[in-house]
Amino acid sequence: MLFSLISKELLMEFRSKQIILSMLIFGLTIILIFALSTDISYEILTNYSPGMFWLMNLFIVVLGAHRSFAYEKEFDAFSLLVSAPIDRGLIFLSKWISGFIFLTTTQILLIAPFFKLLLLDIPENLSLFALTSLLINIGMMAIANLVAGIVIRSNFSEILLPLLLFPLLSPLMIAATKISSGVINSQHYEMWNVWVLIITSIVVIFGLAGYALFDFIVEE
Amino acid sequence: MDFFLKKRKNRLLVFSGTIIFALNLINIILNTPMVADQHWAQKIFYVHVPSAWVGFLSYFIVMIAGFMLYIKNDDKWDDIGLASAEIGTFFMGLVLITGPIWAKPIWGTFWIWEPRLTTTLILFLFYLGYFMFRSFGGNIERIRRQAAALGILAFINVPIIFMSVKFWEPEIQSHPQVEMASQPEGILYPFIFSLITFTFLFIIMLRFRAHTIRLKNSL
Repeated sequence: MLFSLISKELLMEFRSKQIILSMLIFGLTIILIFALSTDISYEILTNYSPGMFWLMNLFIVVLGAHRSFAYEKEFDAFSLLVSAPIDRGLIFLSKWISGFIFLTTTQILLIAPFFKLLLLDIPENLSLFALTSLLINIGMMAIANLVAGIVIRSNFSEILLPLLLFPLLSPLMIAATKISSGVINSQHYEMWNVWVLIITSIVVIFGLAGYALFDFIVEE
Repeated sequence: MDFFLKKRKNRLLVFSGTIIFALNLINIILNTPMVADQHWAQKIFYVHVPSAWVGFLSYFIVMIAGFMLYIKNDDKWDDIGLASAEIGTFFMGLVLITGPIWAKPIWGTFWIWEPRLTTTLILFLFYLGYFMFRSFGGNIERIRRQAAALGILAFINVPIIFMSVKFWEPEIQSHPQVEMASQPEGILYPFIFSLITFTFLFIIMLRFRAHTIRLKNSL
């Protein structure tokens, strides 16, 4: 059943391309704004770049997570989905996994424009940067999809989502910035392994909470 | 539904609460010793720390009420959760006001990204969003369950926020911390009395607010 739900999400996105396209264009716009508004030296910009990278991701995650659930609002498809005789936790898992795929795809497309348009060097250990980014994406999407699932059927959901999501994501944002900073500056793993543990705990806690609570949250 | 003070137990609670709180204030202002290098600024701690304790206790109760609503599906727990969230946010606001007032003369700056203050600020901002969610929400039955889930998520995030801020910039947090347990008796006992007074005040406020919310919902 989980595979069917993920297929549904991927097929919808493959046909409409709404989520990835909007995340990509928004990401490019943010990079443009960053480039035009940071009149600072290369060294300072390099130090700021991990924070700016994850800030860009934070904004596109809000867009992606909201859009992923807003689909279901049309023709009240969400009510039909939750009334299906399936474990509702699986709906959360399918949104989480598909959201992770959308975010990672968008990041792959954005990584070169981010470093090149900001006149920065692409990280030397790109594979490690990508690997740690995957873990961060999993954590980000766990929280984002859980909060999006909560607010989506309320009025003003597009306002409420960032208001509730940003405070919950703040520890993850600190950890993401520290990890990427450690990787970009080629620091030893010992220097930033605590942040990997923090993100892992976020993934476990919010993953389990999402799976356990989703049934309760979406109940009609 | 009755008027809150119609019950003898509530009248007794409010009366004794008023007396204890007045005694606590007098004790803080007149009886507690002046600390040589802090003077009046130190007295804020008798309000600041108990406010933080009550704030975190309130948010803990929001989480417990959320779990109880999840298990029992009784709206009574939502009333308690909402009342506790409101009181908690009030006290967290008090912490965010009194903290900088104390920090300016002692640490020389209004704000530092200290783990406890930062956790308080993050929770405070989250709960402002929580109240907006409850106000704008729509379907009241659904909002109750979703608000319960938010209360649970907010509190399970507290240790993660605290640890991440603690490891974030250790050099920013190198200001000396106040260890209340190692303070002399003249400071420690009034502090414990203030802690008890604020907890007692919280219980009265929670009973009153849960009562008025129930009253409002029954209309």
